[in-house]
Formats: sequence, structure tokens, C-alpha cells
Amino acid sequence: MTAERQGAGARRQAALVPILLFAPCVLVYAIFFIWPQASLLAISASSKSGPGLDQYARFFGDSYYWEILGRTLGMGITVTVITLVLGLPTAYVLARSQSRWAGLLLLLTTFPLLVSAVVRSFGWMVLFFRDGLVSRTLLALGLIDRPVQTMYTMTGVIIALAQVLLPLMVLTLHGVFKSIDRDLEYAAMSLGARPAVALGLVTLRLARGGIVAGSLLVFSLAISAFATPSLVGGARANVMATAIYEQTVELLDWPFGAALAAILLVVVLGLSLAYGALIEGRGELEAPR
Amino acid sequence: MAAYTPDRRQILAALAASATTPFAASSGFAQAPSFSGRKLVSSGFGGSTMDIIQSAIFTPFDKQSGAASTQVPMQSAAALARMKAEAGNPQIDMFQFSGGQEAYAKEEGLTQPLTGVSRLGKIPAGLKDPDGQWVTWAVIAEGIVYRKDKIATPPTSYKDFLKPEYRGHVAFPTITNGYGMDFLVMLAKAFGGGEDNIEPGFTAMKQIKSETIFKAASDLPTLFGQGDIWIMPYDTGNTFKIQQSGLPVAFATPQEGSPAVFITACIAKGAKNADVANAAIDAMLKPEAQIEIARTMRWTASNPETKLPADLAGEVPAVDKLAQLDRGKINAMRAAWTDRWNREIAR
Repeated sequence: MTAERQGAGARRQAALVPILLFAPCVLVYAIFFIWPQASLLAISASSKSGPGLDQYARFFGDSYYWEILGRTLGMGITVTVITLVLGLPTAYVLARSQSRWAGLLLLLTTFPLLVSAVVRSFGWMVLFFRDGLVSRTLLALGLIDRPVQTMYTMTGVIIALAQVLLPLMVLTLHGVFKSIDRDLEYAAMSLGARPAVALGLVTLRLARGGIVAGSLLVFSLAISAFATPSLVGGARANVMATAIYEQTVELLDWPFGAALAAILLVVVLGLSLAYGALIEGRGELEAPR
Repeated sequence: MAAYTPDRRQILAALAASATTPFAASSGFAQAPSFSGRKLVSSGFGGSTMDIIQSAIFTPFDKQSGAASTQVPMQSAAALARMKAEAGNPQIDMFQFSGGQEAYAKEEGLTQPLTGVSRLGKIPAGLKDPDGQWVTWAVIAEGIVYRKDKIATPPTSYKDFLKPEYRGHVAFPTITNGYGMDFLVMLAKAFGGGEDNIEPGFTAMKQIKSETIFKAASDLPTLFGQGDIWIMPYDTGNTFKIQQSGLPVAFATPQEGSPAVFITACIAKGAKNADVANAAIDAMLKPEAQIEIARTMRWTASNPETKLPADLAGEVPAVDKLAQLDRGKINAMRAAWTDRWNREIAR
């Protein structure tokens, strides 16, 4: 009887352990993320005439805001594709390299992360202005016949964002490639697969999770970036983050700013889930049983 | 018995202090109350402007009063947002604005009356709040900044921005920059409109919408430095800064008048160091401080008792020579015009 009760007590205690382990993290998130997000939603559901969804109606009823949302998502997707195309081979080579310089090279790729976004943007401004290095180099190479200004354009924003987010992609993929057993590729090749096929069928498929994680990381950071679009893009590269800043800080229209933030959050969440399901899901279907 | 000794000493000290106070107040040089050990936190404009204000105003004030003043860099719009977010429990005692935000702050009940600013009475009526909630301590004259080596005849009007020979060489700030808003209103005035009729402003600006649009004053030196920007609407202070960097730029006062930007100061409601802030604002209105600001930044003095030395007087327009925009009307239309600008000019 007593022993049984003790056993039940121990089980209850054991059940408590995960809760206790989770508690600090949940608490921090509840205070610093969920609560502010909830108050943001509450603010977004208010208007001059009282509570309601006026702010959302204003957004969705106006093609101008659709354009900003579209520009933001287009920017995020372009930056993600660029970092994936540049980062995948880099990460693969670094992970497979036997050279003792590989570690140093990996460290070097993370250097852009050590510089503040504002300082880095000012650096790009120096390069992007009409008499900057980019324009002069292209002129000297004969690729353009007149000085070109990349400053205050979306192209400039995308280049600058891709540069700073590339390390995150490389680091994520590097870890995944490292964890894939090289013998699996050899096994595929010994069974007759050409190296390219082995790479595609085995390595890249196993790295799927890393590709999803890296892409989502880069995408979500790109579309929420503020300093780079604001400093490099200027007035014409209006994206969601700069629109939110303008509404909350410059026009003091907090309800509409909050609605913009909520819409951005929901859209990103939806796209991320869909993207993850697409890549992971397809893999599962094709995976040999 | 011994336990009473400190008390007696304190009483004696208090007596001595009360005896010397009338003397100190009448003696002139020690009129600022002592704030030794006290702190003052003010918003500041950041960059070299903030450093100059620190050394022209706050450092002498600290030396005289014993307070320790710091400025927290934030642009006016961000400062107002901070003021609003911290309403009731302000972490910043004193705010400096350059975009008319003080009127909004007062309207929202975020400010308190300036009770200890003895020089408030010297400031002309148009430069302070009728209820004494804020005061203009300096004025910046806006106008036309141009490259002397590219434009031989000094521009005279806001209409000059549309001249075909300047196409591709014009720059102007975004509407959220403050000067961008004034540029829109002055263009409207130049073409027969104004605060009540903004249409001509938008019509004129549409003709130069493909020119360079920048966001911050930090882009100015680069824009002028690379040579393809010849003319833009900006102010005396920044013209002076660019001149100091060695570029051949000059400031021209447009015939429509130079819009004036009020640099104002106000105290957050419930500020912990409101008494120190009052004394600091009083120090800002001192003629010596205002001359120093004119000398180091080419900002116009708001206290009419300030007598600028002859060499400075030619470079800094006097406060009564400036055109004043109806900030109340502009603020009321700000959101609508910004929205329209975003759609029609920046797109």
C-alpha cells in the first residue's frame, strides 16, 4: 500500500521533470514574446471608432499595401535563393575538405556577422553610390558605359542582405553536411551511381532538413530586416519593416502599425509551414521503405 | 547627548544656507541652484550636433550647477514615440524636438509647464507655447543648398528645382525627414498653393520624382561629394557642415521665404529631475549659449537679446527674417500627405 503510493509519487515526480525543464523557457517566451504579441494583436484590433478589424480592411482593400507585401516577400525569396545557390557549394566543400585551412575559412565566412547592420549598410553605401567602387569597377571593365547608382534601389538591398545572411546559410548547411556519413555516398557509387547522382540522391536528400532550416532562417531574417532596406534602399524600397517603422514611429498610427506587424507574422508563418511541409513531405513520400 | 550634535549641526548648516541664499540670488553669477549629485537625461539629436550641444550648453550648465547631464541620441520622431511609450514613468527628463513634435506631446498630455525658466518671458510669443509647456531655444533656417562650382547664378526660388538644366542633378529628402515635408509645402506655396492647398506642391514634385530621394542628412556629404548632385532643399547648419568638409556649397534664401525649423525643449510629465531640466532650459536661452550655438552650428538664436558678432550675423539669418509654416495644419495633414507621397512620389 505504502510502496504503491510511493511508486505513484515517484511517477508523478518523474512527470514533473519535463514540465520543470520547460518552465524557464516557456516563462521567458510568455513574458517577452507571447504577451507583447498578444498586446500587439489587441492594438491592431482597435480604431478611432472602437474595436474592430478596420486596420485589416484598410490593408487588404488597398493595392498599395499588397505591393509592399509582395515586394517584401519577393525580396525575401530572392535573398534566400541567392544565399542557397552560393551557400550550398561553399558549405559542401568546407564540410568535405580535408585541408587544415577549412576551419579558418569557415570562421572567415562568419565575419560579416560580427559587424553591426548599420555599420555594414554604411559600408555598402560607400560601394553603391554613383562614384563608388561597384560603379567604377563595372566602368573600368567596360560592362557599363555610364556610372550606375545601386544606392536607393531594391537591387542594392538584396545584394547587401544576401551578403550578411550568407554566413547563416553556410553555417547551417555546414553542420548538416558534416553529419552526413561520407560512406553513404561511396555506397551509392559502388552500387553504380555516378558521383553527381550520388550527391543528388543521397547527400542533398539527407541535407534536406538543413536546407529547410537555412532557408527559413535567411528568409525570416531578410523580410524582417529594417536597417539595410532603410539605409540602402531609401524611400523607393518600401518594405513591411520600413512601413511598420513609418506608421509607429513617424506617423504614430500604432493600430495600423500593429496590424502590419501581425499580417507579416501570419504570412511568414504560413509560408514557412508550407515550405517546410513541401520539402520534408515530398522527401518522405519518395523515401525508400 | 552626543546623538543630538549632528542635528544641531544640520540646523546650523540650514540656517547658514538660508542666510546666503538671498545673497547668492542677487549676486548674479551664482544664480543657478546647486544640483550637485543630480542627474539630467535629455534626448539629443545624435552625431556631431549632439556633441556640439553638449559642449555649448550642457557642459557649462553642469559646471555651474553641479548636475551631470547626458543626452540620449534619438531623432525627433523616435523621441516622441519613446515619450509616448514611457508616459507616466519617463526615463528621459527633457526632450529636444526639431519636427514640431512638442505640439503633439503637449496635446497628448506628455509635457509639464516650464516653471523655472526665468528667460521664458524674453522669447517672442510665436516661439513658445502659450501655456508655457515648451520653448524654442534655436531656429534652423531652411532654403536651397547648391554647388557653387556647378550653378553660377545663385538659385532664388523653389521653382528653380524644376529647371530643365538641373535634371538628373536634384536631390531631395523623403517626406518623413521633416525637411521633405517642408519642401512639399514650399513647392505648393511657390506655385500658388500652401498649407491649405497642397495640390500644386504634388504637381510640381511629380516632375522631379525620378531625381535622387534620400532619407537622412548623413547622405548629404556623399551626395554633394560625388559631384552629380548640384541642388537640394536643406538648411544653414548642414550647409556649414558640408562647407567645413571642403566642398564648394552655398546656402541661398528662397524668395518664398526660408521655412524655419524650431529646435524646442520640453519636460516630460512626471520627470524625476524636472527642476534640473527647468534650469538647463533656462541655460539654453542664455545669449552666451545662443551665440555659441550660432558660431558652431549656424543656428539662429531664439532669444532676441542675443547680439551676434558682425561676422556671424551675415551667415545666420535673424529670427524675424524667417518665414514660418503653419505647423498645426501640417501636423494635422501629415499622415494623409505622407500616404499620398508614398504612392505618388516614391513609387
